[in-house]
Amino acid sequence: MPLLGADSRRDMEIHRYPLLVYALVPLASLVLQAWLPRVTSPYDWFDLPLVVTVYFALGRRNPIQGTIMGAVMGLCEDALTHHAIGINGIAKTLVGFLAASVGIRIEVENQVIRLLLNFLLSLLASAVYLFVSRFLLGLALEWSWLTELLRAVGNSLIALVLFPALDRLQTRD
Amino acid sequence: MESFFIRYRNLVVLLVILVVQIAGLAVQVRRTAGGSSTLYANDPSEVRLIRLWVSSIISPPERMIHAAKLGVVGMWTNYLDLLSVRRQNQDLERTIGRMRLEQAALLEDAREGQRLQALLGFQQKYIYTTVAAQAYGSSGSDRSHVFYIDKGANDGLKPDMAVITADGIVGKVRDVFPHSAQVLAVNDPTSGAGVILETTRIRGILKGDASGRLEVVGVASDQRIKPGENVLTAGGDMIFPRGLPVGVVEKVLRDPDRDGLVDILLTPAAHLNRLDEVLVIASTEPRFPPDQQRDLAASDTLQSAVSPAIRDQVKASEIMAEKLPGLIDPNLPPDQQPLHDSSNPNPATPPQQPLHPDEFSPGAAAPAGSAPRAESTQKPRPKNPSAAPAATGSGVPAQPAANSAPQVTPRRNPE
Repeated sequence: MPLLGADSRRDMEIHRYPLLVYALVPLASLVLQAWLPRVTSPYDWFDLPLVVTVYFALGRRNPIQGTIMGAVMGLCEDALTHHAIGINGIAKTLVGFLAASVGIRIEVENQVIRLLLNFLLSLLASAVYLFVSRFLLGLALEWSWLTELLRAVGNSLIALVLFPALDRLQTRD
Repeated sequence: MESFFIRYRNLVVLLVILVVQIAGLAVQVRRTAGGSSTLYANDPSEVRLIRLWVSSIISPPERMIHAAKLGVVGMWTNYLDLLSVRRQNQDLERTIGRMRLEQAALLEDAREGQRLQALLGFQQKYIYTTVAAQAYGSSGSDRSHVFYIDKGANDGLKPDMAVITADGIVGKVRDVFPHSAQVLAVNDPTSGAGVILETTRIRGILKGDASGRLEVVGVASDQRIKPGENVLTAGGDMIFPRGLPVGVVEKVLRDPDRDGLVDILLTPAAHLNRLDEVLVIASTEPRFPPDQQRDLAASDTLQSAVSPAIRDQVKASEIMAEKLPGLIDPNLPPDQQPLHDSSNPNPATPPQQPLHPDEFSPGAAAPAGSAPRAESTQKPRPKNPSAAPAATGSGVPAQPAANSAPQVTPRRNPE
């Protein structure tokens, strides 16, 4: 895994997109995340907002932007459920921050690295969700790590297809 | 100090956002008397506002996608339906005719039941008004089994209204927005409904498990609970009317936490993962809704036209019953009866006669059933011919008492 100087990578390879992409892609991910389970249930092992958060955080390489985007996506996801608002928010805030921080350090154009990062960050998001729900808030929560593992695999596979597609939307200087 | 914030601005922003969210979570959770944590039943107004905003942003495109899907699927299914519509129409007309007769027959029982309930001061509530709605979206999380419908406060919906389909119960309205509403499905772990097993009349609490399966929890272990038994709403939870289908017993499992109790896994009556059209029960009343009353009036008219024919059928069945050989011969001892099971090593024995019999001793007084039995030999069918089709009836239509229709046992000719 090639390690690079933080400043040089951030200055040289920050991905830029039209403003519409920043607005529509996260919105589309939230809409599809809410609608697709009606078609795919019970095999809804994916988290599109998380994949999109990771993608933009890795591409922009800006921890503040990654943090804010993760927070907004997580809060929107929470608002659609009947659970407390903020559990997914905290999980995705951390994911956005970490993805952007990692994006500064390592080469993220490689598909294998993207796949691996998505898998690990998905598991991290699940672990944070569990921690906040059960230990921070003390809520009774039934949990299945197998489902979380399947979700991480699903997110990685989606990223494999979605990341190259979103790469095409970049603005080239 | 300024350089510290500039140097660590990423971490500072992260911490600020995390702290704000943790503080936001703290106001949504409360401690119960038992010391555990739970969410408030009703969201604080700020939280509700966030849900409303997000729903307002996500719902329009979601509805468009759903409408497009329905359009494509509808075009194909409409074409397929056209191919067999004539035959289906004939079948349906025959079914409606038959059901009208059954309805008329059961109507008398229902009216009698209402009269008795009025005498007892108990009022059976019937589903009076419903609002048809389209389910278009979900929570997007398998940890939260909620879905959204396209009717809201502007259509008269309120929290805690029951949501059903023709197949069975689906959930209850949890949060209402102006043009949409969030419905908590019955298979969510936080939902709850009072249910009763149809034949054994065992009661329990319905909830969902982590994987979204339906289960009845906290039921005392009972050998009579068998797979295949229907489960209905019990009506005690003030949300679901009594007698609505919930599901069918699939499996009985021992409660891992409590000895002597079992959890009953159910196959849901409604297709909870594939919901399109649902009905929200907007009100219940102790009388039939106007549509049903019109149906009942039509059935009454139809019945009066057909009743001579039914009377003839009843007469014919009486004649046949007299001529057919009986299943129990009163002149033969029990072990020589036609239906005697010689393979049973432990046949039921009659109770021993007491030393000093009195009027309460078994067999001392004239058997209570002897006179009516003799009478029923002469009149095996009820006097009211309208009761005859009740044997084939399935229930009073479109109201919860449908499932409590009298069980019709097979008749035996006493001769």
